[in-house]
Amino acid sequence: MFGSLAALQPRQLAAQILNFALVLSTAFMLWKGLSVFTNSSSPIVVVLSGSMEPAFQRGDLLFLWNRGIETQVGEVVVYNVRGKDIPIVHRVIRRFGGGSAPLSLLTKGDNNAADDTELYAHDQSYLDRSKDVVGSVVGFVPFVGYVTILLSEYPWLKTAMLIFMAASVVLQRE
Amino acid sequence: MHNTLTRVQNVFGFFTSVAFAVAAAIAMSVLLSPQTPSASLELRNVQVVKGRPHYYSTKREEYAHVKFDLDADLTSLFSWNTKQLFLYITASYPSSDPTIIPPSEAVIWDAIIPSDYAPLHPNTYIHPTSKTAPKPKKSAKGKGKKEVGKPYPAGASPGIVRLDNQKPKYQITDVSGKIAERENATLTLHWNVQPWVGALVWTNTKTVGRWQGLQGGEAKFAFPPLKGTEVKKDDLKTETGGERNRGSPA
Repeated sequence: MFGSLAALQPRQLAAQILNFALVLSTAFMLWKGLSVFTNSSSPIVVVLSGSMEPAFQRGDLLFLWNRGIETQVGEVVVYNVRGKDIPIVHRVIRRFGGGSAPLSLLTKGDNNAADDTELYAHDQSYLDRSKDVVGSVVGFVPFVGYVTILLSEYPWLKTAMLIFMAASVVLQRE
Repeated sequence: MHNTLTRVQNVFGFFTSVAFAVAAAIAMSVLLSPQTPSASLELRNVQVVKGRPHYYSTKREEYAHVKFDLDADLTSLFSWNTKQLFLYITASYPSSDPTIIPPSEAVIWDAIIPSDYAPLHPNTYIHPTSKTAPKPKKSAKGKGKKEVGKPYPAGASPGIVRLDNQKPKYQITDVSGKIAERENATLTLHWNVQPWVGALVWTNTKTVGRWQGLQGGEAKFAFPPLKGTEVKKDDLKTETGGERNRGSPA
């Protein structure tokens, strides 16, 4: 297998590396392009907890849209708790403000009896739509995102997958 | 050219393309099934009391307890791509400056009505049965199967909801702490259809293609003045939902 790699001319090797870099950058630009289109920092998220069951299970893929400024009660939003980096997917149950005033939202998971007041930062009673909300869920595909949960829980899988992908791209063009 | 690796790659590639196409077709097929939702929502009673509505409330504030009657026929919302219907009733009232700030809105009651094909999950709405229905006889052999309530009345199908003098699930407050004597409040029925795959859909009041808008489902009222000590504790009980996580939110 590696004999064929050694037989490559320097120019061909350079072309292979460039090919690999092109694949990576295309994927990255597609992601960033989608980010700009939806105006969301993370336009596709994976459900990590079971707090929205039975609607969303762990591993479901959610498509977000962040251009709806007047988020309505009943919409499912993804937000970050101030100071932490964990995205939470819950449903809006109360709203105050909007229009000229900042829009305040209170959220609650479908599978939680209590609302999210205890999840927010210590001095925070409501979410600010413009600052805390990453996006609002508009579409959904079941199970597909479970791969990313596996990757984050078993870090050696990530390294193994990268090596496998790099090897297959480089060795394929023979 | 025809080694195992290439074949596996081709099969896998074809599998993903077909799966994507089928998912897209299922998601789009929802537009073809006609919807004729109708509902009649009426306010039964509303009381405003001062106290601590939540266990984490640090100060006393005014909160409202709204009871309602609901008679809804939402069976046409259940297509083959419907996993569940999230039904919720909100109370909305004008803000302090109605010309530039939209009304405030809060959910007083919600219910998760799964489709009959959805796998059984404990977090489901259990429709209250009428008190005159005969109680099922206890099985003589062994423990007997536990009777699980259905999310719709006996003999009906998912989407039929008939509630009489229903207690709310949540007691609502205003961010200012005062909710008594607010005029022009509205009680509205909403839904959110959760598909097996595809786009989430919310209440539509206007007719779009084969989907008719919701008929009815609105009731106007006004919040009464603050009640004193003559309100009994029993009157302020709330409905318990099917949520599994009953402690602090995870």
